[in-house]
Amino acid sequence: MVGEKEPKQSPEDPKRPPKRSNAVENGANTESLFSPRFKSVAAMAGWDEEALLIASLVVEDTPDREIKHKKRTDLLFKTPPSNSRRKRRTQRKSPVSIPVAALNLDEEEPAREEVEKKKTESKSGMNEENKTGRDELPAQNSGVSCSTSALPCMDKLREELSCAICLEICFEPSTTSCGHSFCKKCLRSAADKCGKKCPKCRQLISNGRSCTVNTVLWNTIQLLFPQEVEARKAAGASNSREVKRQIPGRESSNNVRNQSFRPSGVSTSREASVRRRRGVPSQDGDAALALRLQREEFMEAFRATHDQHGTGSSVSLATANLRAMATRAMSLRVRGRPI
Amino acid sequence: MRSAGISASSGGGGGRPWQSTTSVSSSGKRIQKEMAELNLDPPPDCAAGPKGDNLYHWVSTIIGPPGTPYEGGIYFLDIMFPSDYPFKPPTVVFKTRIYHCNVDSVGNLSLDILKDRWSPALTISKVLLAIRAIFTNPDVCKFFQSILDNPLVPGIAHLYLADRAKHDEEAAEWTLRFAR
Repeated sequence: MVGEKEPKQSPEDPKRPPKRSNAVENGANTESLFSPRFKSVAAMAGWDEEALLIASLVVEDTPDREIKHKKRTDLLFKTPPSNSRRKRRTQRKSPVSIPVAALNLDEEEPAREEVEKKKTESKSGMNEENKTGRDELPAQNSGVSCSTSALPCMDKLREELSCAICLEICFEPSTTSCGHSFCKKCLRSAADKCGKKCPKCRQLISNGRSCTVNTVLWNTIQLLFPQEVEARKAAGASNSREVKRQIPGRESSNNVRNQSFRPSGVSTSREASVRRRRGVPSQDGDAALALRLQREEFMEAFRATHDQHGTGSSVSLATANLRAMATRAMSLRVRGRPI
Repeated sequence: MRSAGISASSGGGGGRPWQSTTSVSSSGKRIQKEMAELNLDPPPDCAAGPKGDNLYHWVSTIIGPPGTPYEGGIYFLDIMFPSDYPFKPPTVVFKTRIYHCNVDSVGNLSLDILKDRWSPALTISKVLLAIRAIFTNPDVCKFFQSILDNPLVPGIAHLYLADRAKHDEEAAEWTLRFAR
C-alpha cells in the first residue's frame, strides 16, 4: 500500500507549482466557484484548485483506483481490474435493473402485494418501490371497498368473468372472433379436442393455436380477483416445481439447501428459464408476458423474505440465490479494496 | 384447506397426497365445481351427485314433469364422466325404464348434445334440463336419425306422430309400472 502510494504522489508534486500559477492567473474564474475562505482552508489541507474542481465534479473515486491498478506489475494486473470492472457492473446493474422490471409493468396486483410487504417490513428501502407502493395504494383501497360494499355485484362479476370450460375465473382470457372469452389454455384444448368451434355458440373459430390474451379483460380480472389469480398462478407454478422439490426434500431439510448457495442458485435460474420458455408463446414472443414472468420471479423472491422460516419452498431458493449474489458481490468488494 | 395443503407440502411426504389431488386435473376440479353449483342452485325437478367416493360416477334423478305422461315418475340416471371431461361429453344412461322414443330399452339416450353437439361449455345441469325438455317434447327428428342403430324404438315415434293419445297412455302406464 505505502509503496504504491509513494510513486503516485511524487509525479503530482512537480505538477503542483505550475498549476497554482495557472490558477492565480485565472483566479477570476475559480473564485466564482469557490469562496476565498474555502480555498484557503483547502490550501491548508494541501489541495489545489484543480483537485477541488475535479472533486466537485467527479462523484465517483473510481479513476483514482484505476491509476493504482495501472501501476501494478503485469502479473498482478491480469485478474483484479477485471474483477473491479465486473464488480462495478454488478453494483450498477443490480439496484437498477430489478426495480425497473418491477416498475414497468402495468398490472397492479403484484405491486399491491409489495405494498403489504412494505407495511409490515420495509427492510429493502428502495425508493422506487416505495413510490410504486404509494401509487398503488389508492387503487387497492378502492378495490377493497368495492369488494366489501357491493358483494352482489361482485358475484355477478365473478359469474360473468368465469370461464365456461373450467368454471373458474378466466386465467389469461382469450377472446374468440365471435366475442366469447375463455381461459387461453381451456380454449386451446377445446379447439384441439372438440374441433375449432366456439364452445359457447358453435361458431367456427379461426385457429385454436393463435390464441392471444385479451389484455384489457385480463388486467380487469387481475384487479377484481387478485386472490384467485394468485392462487392459480401458485398452483401452476407448484405443479411445475413439484418434481424438483421432491428429490432434495426427502433426504434433508431445507436448511441444507439454503446454506449451499451455489447449487440452489443454479437450480432456480434454470427453473426460471424453463418457466419463461414455457410461458412465452413461441410464435409472437409476447414481451409483456416475459416481463410478467420475470416480475413474478422477483415477487416470489421478495415474498420469501417473509415466510422463509415457515415454508421453505423454492421461493426460499430464490432468496438464497439473491443472497448468494449479494454476498459474492460483497466479498468481491472487500477483496478488491485493500489490494 | 387446499391452500394450506400446498403450503405445507414443502414439509416433505405429507404434502404429496395434496399435490396428487391438485394434479387430478381440470376434470376433477370442474366436476367438483359443478357439484357445488348443483347443490346451490339445482334445476327444477332434478338432482344429481356422486354415487360413492368416485367423483366421476354420478347418479341423478329427474321427476317426470307435470302435464306429461311421465308425471309423478321418478327416473334414475347414471352419469359417467370421461377423464377428459369438459372436452368429451358425459355418458348418461336411464336406469329406470321409460316409454320414450329417445330412450332405448337398455336406457341409452339419444341426445345430440351428448354426442356430436357436445360443447365443453355445457354442464350437467344443462344436460339435465335438456333431458327434462325431451320429456315434454320428444325429439322425433332425432329418433329418425337413430333408426339405423336402434331398430327397437321406432314404434314409439310412429305412435307419437300417428296417435298421440295412445302413445301418452302407454307412456303413463310405463310410468306407473316402472317409475314409482
